[in-house]
Amino acid sequence: MVLWWNTAGALDRQVDAAIRADATALMERLEAGGMPAVVAAIEDRMAVDVQNETLYLLLGPEDRRLAGNLSTWPPEANGEFSWIRIPLQRDGAVSEARLFRVDVGGGTRMLVGRDVAEKLRLRGLLSEGIAWAASASAGFAVLGAWLLRRSLERRLSPIYRTARAISSGDLTPRVPLSERDDEFDKLGATMNAMLDRIAQLMEGVRGVSDAIAHDLRTPIARARAKLEESLHAAHDEDSLRAAVEQGIADLDAIARVFQAVLRIAEVEAGARRAAFAETDLAPVLADIAELYGASAEAREQHLAVDLPDALPLVGDRDLLAQAVVNLLDNALKFTPEGGTVTLSARLGDDFAEIEVADDGPGMPEADRLRAGERFFRADAARTTPGSGLGLSLVRAVAALHRGEVLLRDTHPGAAAPGLTVALRLPTA
Amino acid sequence: MLWAGPLLVIFATSAGWADEVPVRVTTDSSAYCAELATRFAAQPGPRAEETAIMAEDGRRLCDTGHVRSGIAKLRRALRAVQAGG
Repeated sequence: MVLWWNTAGALDRQVDAAIRADATALMERLEAGGMPAVVAAIEDRMAVDVQNETLYLLLGPEDRRLAGNLSTWPPEANGEFSWIRIPLQRDGAVSEARLFRVDVGGGTRMLVGRDVAEKLRLRGLLSEGIAWAASASAGFAVLGAWLLRRSLERRLSPIYRTARAISSGDLTPRVPLSERDDEFDKLGATMNAMLDRIAQLMEGVRGVSDAIAHDLRTPIARARAKLEESLHAAHDEDSLRAAVEQGIADLDAIARVFQAVLRIAEVEAGARRAAFAETDLAPVLADIAELYGASAEAREQHLAVDLPDALPLVGDRDLLAQAVVNLLDNALKFTPEGGTVTLSARLGDDFAEIEVADDGPGMPEADRLRAGERFFRADAARTTPGSGLGLSLVRAVAALHRGEVLLRDTHPGAAAPGLTVALRLPTA
Repeated sequence: MLWAGPLLVIFATSAGWADEVPVRVTTDSSAYCAELATRFAAQPGPRAEETAIMAEDGRRLCDTGHVRSGIAKLRRALRAVQAGG
């Protein structure tokens, strides 16, 4: 359309501009020299019109012909519009004229125009050329689109087949990658990584389900056995009441385990990230230290504290406090009487680190790799109370804050090396 | 037969156009050719030989029935004279 407007359309505009200029010049001649001057001007113009295009008709009052080369006044020129297009008889052939009507006044009227047959022929040629060019372009576009679609289908087909296999329940297929390393390979590699991650998560879910089934069955069975035994053995109301209270306590413990599992799931899902805010953990850690200091003294343990004045970071204050509480719980649980548990924190260039160190038996290297899995309990911890979920929550909280949990010996090489757990969180 | 109505209208309209006498151009005639030749002869001032030959060619073309070509030649000659040639 733009091409047509700039070529064929320009021809029309050019003709109209020439006619208008001609009419204006004749009207100026009328003002300067009267009607005889206009008649002379028209005859002069017709006499030197080598292109044989100019058309004029000047009629006086009562349609008296004064000048021009049109045989009659066309009826179309009596209409509302000044610009008209009429068929024109020329040497036996039919041509076309573009005319502009000028009402001179005093019953005199004039037509100024051009024979546009040549222009129309040229416009026809241009339009035909444009139509051919547009058709060819459209053809190439369709061909290109078809080739592109075929190419896309060929490249997307392995991805589509893999997705279809996955959706039918088989998680093992992966997208085959070519050596081109293009966008499709990147998409395939990303999809493979996603599938690996999904498989890993599903494995984890399966593990948790197994662990829940295994680890909760024991306390439930124990509580049931106790209640059953009390039912048979209790001789009075007091012993029966004591047995029921013990059963309630056991069930509360089981409920707490469920609560912990749900909380870890919530943290891992990232749902708590909306609660992130700028916070100073130093006073929070100080409060926790004060609380656990009393608890440690009661067990004849010592809680050493080394905290900075401020520990600013962005995160969930409550979750971070819970993580530190879990670490302290573990440390106090495994530290013998007279031992020391140290709670310290420091601010690095782009991280904050909270450490809890104990004097306990420590943790073997193999167990450290599994520490943090839900319900995992090292052999040394089997005899101590606990659910195996404390460090899982710590790891989940660290991951939520894009941090990490580091485990190392407190006293390397010692018989009881102890365990230091560092919670390292980015501050930037 | 429903299509017959519009078809008749189209036919009648076409017939009406055919009856209409189209506007004719009066400057394609041998009379106008003679008028141009007179106008050329009446032009004052000197004229080049080739301009006169051009006008003469135009006149001859008109006389032999090639009116439009003759008129074109005469117009060129007139233009050349008016331009000072």
